[in-house]
Amino acid sequence: MSPIAPAGVFDALRTQLQDAATAFADGPDALQGILLGLVDDVDRAVREPLEIFPVCHHSPASALAMARRLREKQPKVVYLELCEDMAPLLSELHNCTLPVAVQAFATELDGFPADWAPLSVVAPITEASAEYQAIAYARSTPGVELVLVDRSSDHVFQWEPRRAAPPGQAEPDEEDGALHGDAVGVEIGDLRPRFAELEEHLLRNGRVRHWSEWWHQYVELPLGEADHDTYRQVMFLVGSLFRRLAPGESTRMRVDEDRERYMWTRMREHLAATGTDPGEAVYVCGAFHAASRVEEFGVHGSAGTGGFEIAPRTATKWQYGLIPSSHTAIEGQFGLAPGSVSIAATQWTKNLKRTRVVPFRLEGQGGKAAAKESARAAVSAAGSQPRDARPSDRLSGFLQRPGVVDPVDEAELLGWSVGIVHAARRAGYLASTADAIAVFETSVLLAGMRDRAKPTPYDFQDAAVTCIEKDSVPGRRDVRRLVEIMMGGDRIGRVGYDALPPLARDVHDRLAPLGLNLQQRGVKRALLDIASRPELERCSDLLWMLRYLMPSGTARPIMGERVLGQRPIQESWDLALGTNQRALIELGYEGISIEQVLEQRLRRKAYHPLATTATVLEAVEDATLYLRSAARLADELGAHALKVLATERTVDSAPEVLRRVRRLLAYYRTSVPVLPAWIEAFVTSGYAHYCTLLPRAFADEDATVRQVAAMLGFLFSMESLALSLGCDRTQLELAVAQSHPEEPSRVALLWAAQVQLGRLSRAELRGRCDELLGNPLVLPSYPTYLSGLVHALEPVPGLADVVVEAVSHAFGRLPDPVLLPWLPTLITALRGDSSDLAPLLVREAGRVFPGRLADLDRWVPPWREAPPAPADQPSSRSVGPGGLALLPAHPAACDAAARLLGCEPSWSTAPATSSGARLLATHPDTAQALEVLLAAR
Amino acid sequence: MSDLLRAPAEIKYADELAWLESVDTGTKPFTWRLSPKMIRTFVLGSQPGDQLDRKVDQKWFGDAAIVERAIVTLASDRGLLLIGDPGTGKSWLAELLSAAVCRNSTLVVQGTAGTTEDHIKYSWNVSMVIAQGQSRESMIPSPIMTAMEAGAIGRFEELTRATSDVQDALISILSEKYISVPELDENGTVFARPGFSVIATANSRDRGVNDLSSALKRRFNFVRIPVVTNRRSEAEIVRFRTEELLRRHQITLDVPPTLLDVLLQSFADLREASAAAGSDDERLESALSSAEQIGVLEDAILHSNFFGRQTLTADALASSLVGSLARRDEDTPILNKYLHGVVAPRTENAGENSGEWTQFLQGGQAALKALA
Repeated sequence: MSPIAPAGVFDALRTQLQDAATAFADGPDALQGILLGLVDDVDRAVREPLEIFPVCHHSPASALAMARRLREKQPKVVYLELCEDMAPLLSELHNCTLPVAVQAFATELDGFPADWAPLSVVAPITEASAEYQAIAYARSTPGVELVLVDRSSDHVFQWEPRRAAPPGQAEPDEEDGALHGDAVGVEIGDLRPRFAELEEHLLRNGRVRHWSEWWHQYVELPLGEADHDTYRQVMFLVGSLFRRLAPGESTRMRVDEDRERYMWTRMREHLAATGTDPGEAVYVCGAFHAASRVEEFGVHGSAGTGGFEIAPRTATKWQYGLIPSSHTAIEGQFGLAPGSVSIAATQWTKNLKRTRVVPFRLEGQGGKAAAKESARAAVSAAGSQPRDARPSDRLSGFLQRPGVVDPVDEAELLGWSVGIVHAARRAGYLASTADAIAVFETSVLLAGMRDRAKPTPYDFQDAAVTCIEKDSVPGRRDVRRLVEIMMGGDRIGRVGYDALPPLARDVHDRLAPLGLNLQQRGVKRALLDIASRPELERCSDLLWMLRYLMPSGTARPIMGERVLGQRPIQESWDLALGTNQRALIELGYEGISIEQVLEQRLRRKAYHPLATTATVLEAVEDATLYLRSAARLADELGAHALKVLATERTVDSAPEVLRRVRRLLAYYRTSVPVLPAWIEAFVTSGYAHYCTLLPRAFADEDATVRQVAAMLGFLFSMESLALSLGCDRTQLELAVAQSHPEEPSRVALLWAAQVQLGRLSRAELRGRCDELLGNPLVLPSYPTYLSGLVHALEPVPGLADVVVEAVSHAFGRLPDPVLLPWLPTLITALRGDSSDLAPLLVREAGRVFPGRLADLDRWVPPWREAPPAPADQPSSRSVGPGGLALLPAHPAACDAAARLLGCEPSWSTAPATSSGARLLATHPDTAQALEVLLAAR
Repeated sequence: MSDLLRAPAEIKYADELAWLESVDTGTKPFTWRLSPKMIRTFVLGSQPGDQLDRKVDQKWFGDAAIVERAIVTLASDRGLLLIGDPGTGKSWLAELLSAAVCRNSTLVVQGTAGTTEDHIKYSWNVSMVIAQGQSRESMIPSPIMTAMEAGAIGRFEELTRATSDVQDALISILSEKYISVPELDENGTVFARPGFSVIATANSRDRGVNDLSSALKRRFNFVRIPVVTNRRSEAEIVRFRTEELLRRHQITLDVPPTLLDVLLQSFADLREASAAAGSDDERLESALSSAEQIGVLEDAILHSNFFGRQTLTADALASSLVGSLARRDEDTPILNKYLHGVVAPRTENAGENSGEWTQFLQGGQAALKALA
């Protein structure tokens, strides 16, 4: 291992790697092969004229070495391993609070299977990372070019075989852990053993619990103050070892090699095009890629015999934006140990303090003072240090010191120990100063036992758990979590206003009248008194649209509702726009304004191949509800609903259609002077459509009673409008006549329809019900008839009294074995599908039954009351003088007809029994007085 | 070793401890016989990176951080309380640690409802007191007091089974590190020598029976030992303990790896079912710990060896499992459900292991039938 700098410097790491190599090589020869290969790899990477800068993700040591190197070398071009299409976004980074993620997003796919949508790639950027240093350097130094050379987001999906879940992605369970959604993560410098056994071996041998801790102890700490050459060599070595020992599955390896070919091809192209001297450029890439053995490797590498050509992108339209990220989200996405990114951030701050290296920062981030200071320091650093001067080797001294706690660390550890006791006390633990002492002591002891010169945050965490955690956790957080929070906790990034897409900016602008800081995380309560401040009505419109489009919880109405035809007066909302910033930004990829996005969504919903008439009508209703100038869209979607209705052969959506059409009709009748053409057409077509389907629906076993009832409801309630628009009632009469249901509930429904059409009287309907109750053979099916009658209230609400009567009969006369099993059915029917029928029935029952207990004894059901005696009624109609007078006057016609029929014509005189005539005869005075009066006139 | 039914760890591993002591170059706190790092090596086994000439076997299986935290606690001035479900290896760890620190793991007080303060402090030899009066000679020191005087580790098993007032006797021992003997006029105080500490164990299922006072809690560092759910470590534990048993009984019986798989899988299934159960009646009474697994296997081995065909079969394993786990009336339906709902489908889908599962099912059914 000759490339490693001074002997004894990296003993621990060397032992670790050597053990791993021995354990995983197939024999002594293989081991030698691997070791020689490692030397070759490192040698090749070091000799490359274009300086390769190997990094590892979320490694403060990488970031520190990067910052130092950039100050020293001042390269003119920085090549960075990051999707090349994300380049324009980096200029917006200065508007954001890190960590944020650069996102490429596509919903309209072309060239990928449609079910992959939406495609999303995120590349999180934290402050303690080498890539941020490179970006900040390039952006803040004039004349420096930053070139992203990795494959585009499109290629990520082109090359990656689609898996069930993106690799290494754990299901984030906390709210903040889900900041990246289901995006595929890309990272600069993914450096980790590719197969589990090697990682396990390293962890076991290194006596650490997880990968982040291994890295921290064996690479991060020793590299913390290493000089540039040592840093590079160690990173090359680690990358090469992982690559040679554990290349991982072949598909992943192939993708990696393709990426390397891609990057080198791009870099050579750029060098050739701009004529840059390779000596003035730096190539920042993961250590894994630095040990690449592809033919394209190097400025002078060949184009490759494999004929690698960069495939064109698909026609998929990609949108780009910055979304907020968090340490937890990063840990979740890349399978890192909880808290490791936060610990890396702490380590970074500590390293900066210790080494006095001034990091690069984008202007606007970390305050103006910091930026100024950094600029000044940059100048002084560049001026004071000649570019060829080799920095002194601080590493040897650092590692050869005996394992004592130096003053800086002791003070820090003391601070931590006191801090955790405070935090624990606040969280309900019985912790005291004695515990602080114990934690301090235990941390030092643990570090000593684990061969560490100083306690790491992980040692401290273990010590705190040992000394403070007892048998139960008193509050919400245990000590382990408290330590994580103390170590920096989860840091959540924020995308600044200027870096937001136009839609998101527009939303914030339009919600400005609310006077709330909606960029901030957390829930804000908004009170909209629209009656006194009419300008807030626009805000209310926007909030309702947000509620429709955004995930639940983003905008939640506490008071107020939006229904057709109502104007808002007062509303109150819980808004969490800051928390759901990613969703808002992703919405911004779909359009310029929120109205446009809503319109697109509604259109997509209505024109979906599986959309039913009900869904299209729902879209119409939503358009009318949420969009102010919706008439055009509503007309268009309404016309489409008509088309969908015409192609529908089932009546599944009939109840929903009826409900929505009724609501829309009621709205149009009250709010617009003339009904829109589409709804008139819809009513007439619907009338004809349902008339046609009615006989089949009555007979069809798949159609439920509710659906048939809804069809009848449509036909009866829209009848007057339909007839006025030119429909023919005969069609309905014929349809009813053609219906021959067999199932009892539908038979009852048909009876109700016949009553409505006048083909059956209510008395006859009552008689039929009585017959059913009287016939012991059909008695068990009586409840089914009743169900039909209950559903018939929808189309024929006037039948409520008959239904109440029938139900009362059922309760009174049905035997318990029949009645009791049916009751739950009745209740569910009334509560579930047709909840609007229950009030009707209850009102009618309230009218029929006595309201007070005392009345019950005297109460006789209305249907038992004797019908008013018909005897007193003069049967005037049967003997009315209408046609009868003509017959005796002109007997010839009648006689002729009688002869034709073969009857002998004979006439009898009708008795003069007209009551009026008799009165006249007995009291002639009145008539005579009237005659006088009339004559006088 | 051979004339003891069960030798304590310091005797059982005497050679290894002596050898470790001879090669140990690390700093030893107090009067410890081994340095903390070496104790860890003794308990967790050696790694190639330790560069030792001799391989040290792993004796306790679990998270290395637990052992490290335990050792470090013993080096501090607090007592160590190992807490966990029954059968998770608390006492075994305590024994190993005591053996490694002071070569004496037998200074044990067993906590029960009948434990009195005398068991923790001291009592008197009544006949000697009558004959000579109260003196140091007529005093019978408790194991804890002996440990104090020797600068060794005292152990207190099942601390939470002892009543609260008895537990509190430990408070002064742990903080002041001495015991006053008011009966004696001279030498009335027994001081602890450097190296003294207490390892107590407590069963987390006993929580609420005799809760520790906060004063006592403060003087202990709690180290929670979880039930091992990692299949690989569990297999290691079962294999380790079974080999010991076979050696002890001089049995030459082979435990096929497939049967070990069956045992581990069945316990994993039952644990999952217990975790998903809604009430105590729906879950087995057993804690389903690694110790119970070892018990089941031990039982099956002994049965096959003495009454069976000298080979371990899946049906013997199943009947031993049913016999060990069916403790209440409520347990049998759960086992029945498990056999029919989980094992029966596996007999068809388990691939190469399906033969074992079929046999396991039959054995289990037969055992359940015998119970009914």
